[in-house]
Amino acid sequence: MSRKVAIIGVGNSKFGVRDDALLQEIAFEAVKEALEDAGITQKEIELSVVGSVGTRMYEALPAVPVNEYAGFSGVGPIRVEAACATGSAAVFTAYNAIASGYVDVAIAIGVEKMCEVDTPTSTAVGGRGGNYLWEFHMFGTSFACYYAFYATAHMNKFGTTEEQLAMVAVKNHKYASMNPKAHFQREIKLEDALKSRIICWPLKLYDCCPISDGAAAAILASEDKVKEFRIEDPVWIAGIGYASDTSNIVRRPDYVGLSATVKAANMAYKKAGVEPKDVEVAEVHDCFTIAEIMAYEDLGFCKKGEGGKLIKEGQTYIGGRIPVNVDGGLKAKGHPLGATGVSMIYELTRQLRNEGGKRQVPLKKYIALAHNIGGTGHYGYVTILRR
Amino acid sequence: MSDAKKIENPTIMSRKLLFLHKIPILKTKKFWDGLKEGKIYATRCRKCGQTYYPPQADCSKCLASDMEYFEVANEGEIVTFVASYLVPQGFENYQIPYIIAIVKTSNELKLMGFVEGIDYKNIKVGMKVKIITKIQSDGFPAIIFIPC
Repeated sequence: MSRKVAIIGVGNSKFGVRDDALLQEIAFEAVKEALEDAGITQKEIELSVVGSVGTRMYEALPAVPVNEYAGFSGVGPIRVEAACATGSAAVFTAYNAIASGYVDVAIAIGVEKMCEVDTPTSTAVGGRGGNYLWEFHMFGTSFACYYAFYATAHMNKFGTTEEQLAMVAVKNHKYASMNPKAHFQREIKLEDALKSRIICWPLKLYDCCPISDGAAAAILASEDKVKEFRIEDPVWIAGIGYASDTSNIVRRPDYVGLSATVKAANMAYKKAGVEPKDVEVAEVHDCFTIAEIMAYEDLGFCKKGEGGKLIKEGQTYIGGRIPVNVDGGLKAKGHPLGATGVSMIYELTRQLRNEGGKRQVPLKKYIALAHNIGGTGHYGYVTILRR
Repeated sequence: MSDAKKIENPTIMSRKLLFLHKIPILKTKKFWDGLKEGKIYATRCRKCGQTYYPPQADCSKCLASDMEYFEVANEGEIVTFVASYLVPQGFENYQIPYIIAIVKTSNELKLMGFVEGIDYKNIKVGMKVKIITKIQSDGFPAIIFIPC
């Protein structure tokens, strides 16, 4: 039988163009904050899991310098990769080590430096995250293209509009402007989003997340250690679901939702014993605005095809039926690939502890959900937390 | 996408590192040769009948490695499409916007390709296209969709 696993400490670096710091220096910011938050030192950590995609970086084995600089030795590291869902895979790996009884305290560190190369290089590296030989090699498919395929099909089938996509950006910029750790610090107007230049039609500049640097860390512990550390009322991992989809996008039946989301969510809901209506705050994978709209539907927050309506009605703002990405999301907080999934856990842990400040979501059941996609649904992770 | 902020903090340049890969195509050579001859090939497993596009030499379903090639139909309809203004490294000579579509052929396979001969604003999902191949000016092969 697997053991209960708690989240006892979280940290998050400032996200953005971090030309002031190296990979290990931004990871240090997140690790230090997480250790201080847990009230423990490096000595208590038995396993370190480092999530970093790393394909844009000059440091080929990023986990090693990250661990040395954070003052860990002899505790791994394990380096994990699941594209843009790498952070969730790191949390899952740390979770499994504790749930299985192998260790009692583990840290998941997510870190990515993306701004050290130019945009055409970053676009070409990112585009290889689909399938290189059969797609990027011939057609130069960037990640914006992949999500634009979904946007075109979703708009065609369900009548989702460019205005509804822009509404997601407006919401997420609003919350980013209230989050000092977010890449973007200003609100945007709907008209500006609609007038912004086309990146990959139908997606415009404000439909796309920025290219960001950043790190996040989460310390996980067994129930015994929670008692030993005298941590009262921690946040627990209630269930994790995972799934995947084809590498070749042409082998998928349609382009209006991500089957990896549906499968991972069903698994997580079942493991946690909760239903979509029980979730009170969610972090969803909004690398592009269409991704947030599809996530509403595929996670069961609304019916398929009604995601555009949900944002139009304002139901995903604080005070709405299901507040989503109240830290700014990938869209405006930034999306440093390896850090994103861990940063979602950072935000939700703080929300569940009522430490959200101006962005605090009112909670009754204390159930939160993180949804993290790698590639275009090539990987899917859904993590449910409760307190 | 990229933040317009200029580099302000002191930085140093890394050593140069260039990757160019030699990609083995032995097991799908007929496909790559076909593109030069205006033909697009998919494969079908002789043991279980599973079809594959892109073509592959081994059957992911039944694990047999006995494939036959067959030609993809030269007509289909657009399932979804995009018009990209991004220029990834390696595509500097391509005219923007380039239109990429996923097309379902009359023999029920889906292909990716460039759409040519039409402004993207005039393209509709469901539009019928002819499917051809082309060698681009940079020597790379491509699949092209021409609206009927």
